Amino acid sequence: MSLLSIAVVLFLIMDPFGNISSILSLTKDYDSKTQRRIILREMLIALTFMVAFNYLGEFIFYILELNETTVRISSGLVLFLIAIKILFTSPDSPRANLPKGEPFIFPIAIPLICGPGLMATIMLYAHMEPYQSIMILAILMAWVVSAAILYFANPIKNFLGTNGLMAAERLVGMVLILISIQRVMEGLMMFWNTHPHPT
Amino acid sequence: MSVFQLAFIIFIITNPIGNCPAVIALIKDHGIKDQQRILLRESIFALILAIFFLVLGETFLSGLQIQNYALSMSGGVLVFLISLKMIFSIRSDDTIERPKQDPYIVPIATPLLSGAGLLTMIMLYSKQEQNDWKVFFAILIAWIGVTAVMVTAPYLQVILGKRGLAALEQLMGLFLAMMAVGMMVKGASLFLIALGIS
Repeated sequence: MSLLSIAVVLFLIMDPFGNISSILSLTKDYDSKTQRRIILREMLIALTFMVAFNYLGEFIFYILELNETTVRISSGLVLFLIAIKILFTSPDSPRANLPKGEPFIFPIAIPLICGPGLMATIMLYAHMEPYQSIMILAILMAWVVSAAILYFANPIKNFLGTNGLMAAERLVGMVLILISIQRVMEGLMMFWNTHPHPT
Repeated sequence: MSVFQLAFIIFIITNPIGNCPAVIALIKDHGIKDQQRILLRESIFALILAIFFLVLGETFLSGLQIQNYALSMSGGVLVFLISLKMIFSIRSDDTIERPKQDPYIVPIATPLLSGAGLLTMIMLYSKQEQNDWKVFFAILIAWIGVTAVMVTAPYLQVILGKRGLAALEQLMGLFLAMMAVGMMVKGASLFLIALGIS
């Protein structure tokens, strides 16, 4: 995969447009300056986790005795369920009841920005990609764009309106479904190609 | 092929008349004026998607490394989930005032109107025809027809009444499930070809 397509996939999974409204409602008690500070801090924490996962990926593969087939199928399934949640939102999501106080790490950095889908994806790509520098560059590119979008969350929300945000969210959800199903089916293909055939 | 032939094919694939009852069942909680507004909006989204795929479809799908079987399969899975929702919709809490579900983009604009079939067709024709404008105008002509059908669809509700609509929802849930499995089977057979089995 090229650098650009990795970056685009990572950006789509971070889903900054879909996260704008939830992040703004989580931080609505603060003035816009504190809000931006919180968002920037959470983004930096998320970046740390992403980079850490990029390097730890191989190690986790080894400890849990995973291979590319299993990671492909499992990350595809997780991503699929996340995308379903984006498309069919329910008002009583478990994310509704949260600990009071300033959001620190949970729930903005993890799981809204750097969720299980993103972590599994980074693990998978880090395994597939021979050059670590490409991965780091892709993560940074996706992160910079997401961080910029979330940093200007308020003006973007005012510009697009609730409906515009919803449209962006839905489109991203659709693309995520495409990516996840493609990944699961590639996993199945890999399984078929690697397991010993009865002859 | 002439523009009108192309437009006719696109109209048939979009299948507005067949989709009418399902679409009406999906938005039955709204008033007629609202329904027309929603349907107009959704058709515009469908048009935007179709034109987006005409111009950038190839780049978009190959950039994300999405194959045609995944496109077909995703449409099937989504429509299947929606059909399950329609068949097993909860009737008991109808008295509770709950926010009306406003179907935004999913499922009417895509995958019902601009589904995997239409999008791949458009990509195919844009490859075949030298002139992209021809396909563009064909889409536009087909779209006018589709929108006309869609906007008149809410009057079905007047004929059928509330009970008729509730019954229709069940029936259309079944039809949607069948269409969904059709898309999945299509995706699966494309997948098998990609695997090199069949």
